[in-house]
Amino acid sequence: MKHIVIIGCGKAGRELAMELSKTDNVVVVDKSLKSLDALGDDFNGKKVWSDALDISTLEKADTTDADVAFLLTGNDNLNLVVGKVIKRKYNVKKVILQVNDTMKKKIFKEEGLTIINRTYLIVEVLKKCI
Amino acid sequence: MYIVITGVGQLGLILAKKLREDEHQVCVIDKSESLCNRLAGELKGVIVICGDATYPGVLQEAKIEKADVCVSSTSSDEDNIIICYLAKELFGVKRTVARVNDPKHIPLYKYMEVDNPVDSTSIIARIVEEEASFSDVMNLLSIKKGRLSIVRVDIPQDSPVANMSLKEISLPGNSVLVSILRGPDIIIPSGSTVILPGDEIIAATLIDAEKNLIKALIGKI
Repeated sequence: MKHIVIIGCGKAGRELAMELSKTDNVVVVDKSLKSLDALGDDFNGKKVWSDALDISTLEKADTTDADVAFLLTGNDNLNLVVGKVIKRKYNVKKVILQVNDTMKKKIFKEEGLTIINRTYLIVEVLKKCI
Repeated sequence: MYIVITGVGQLGLILAKKLREDEHQVCVIDKSESLCNRLAGELKGVIVICGDATYPGVLQEAKIEKADVCVSSTSSDEDNIIICYLAKELFGVKRTVARVNDPKHIPLYKYMEVDNPVDSTSIIARIVEEEASFSDVMNLLSIKKGRLSIVRVDIPQDSPVANMSLKEISLPGNSVLVSILRGPDIIIPSGSTVILPGDEIIAATLIDAEKNLIKALIGKI
């Protein structure tokens, strides 16, 4: 059973959390209580209602023990900052961040950081449709 | 020096004007187009760039690689961290200074190696606390983000050090008496100088030693 931290409970975060909580130990972090409530009763994991830029939030989410961390807030800069800190401070093996700006994706490339870009993904899928 | 300031709120604006007066070369960057238009008229001799400074292209436009210092004073801590990171890693800027909006975010500034995160909220809180709590003591100057203070202490009648010479007084560590103001006279003290009630003492002290210094001079806090 993996310990997975998901920061940002938007559409993607929510779907991922619901899916993974069936088999793994999932903690979801969001600063909006409404977003966390949207996880519904089927979600079988921990919710942390707090600001991800505050290091005590990451402690509450037991990031030290995490095998994987996902940064899925809609804020590229927040995802990058918190993602890098999680990698550096907690040495989490896999850190996956959503970064929507293609330029930043290139600059912030680092070992152990997987940067997901929505535009690239859609383009790849569209190409396969041909 | 060439200084790039990103995020032009009140702080950025005052800073830009001040640095320009001191004949530094200054460039300001802000997202808001209407603000930039106004700044272009208001800030004479300052380069104004409109754009999001978390994008490297915008920093490049500001020729940030030539900057001696990058000051990031946007209202968003993640943006400030990213800007300082880019300035340093991508453009080799030697010194990065940022305004911390929420003191809880300071550890992140440190992990991301911002050289000088300035936590204005805590600094102001400390000054207000001082002003509110001690009537016989006045903070004249704070140096190094408030860690070193120059204070003025009025010696009351019942002071434990009244009528004693400096060599008889044991002051707490990390503090030193700089001068004594007595009526029209300014005395630079030596060991034989005697402190009298009514003297105003100017002292330099580290913030941690301040309370002990005041206790030694006044007898209470």
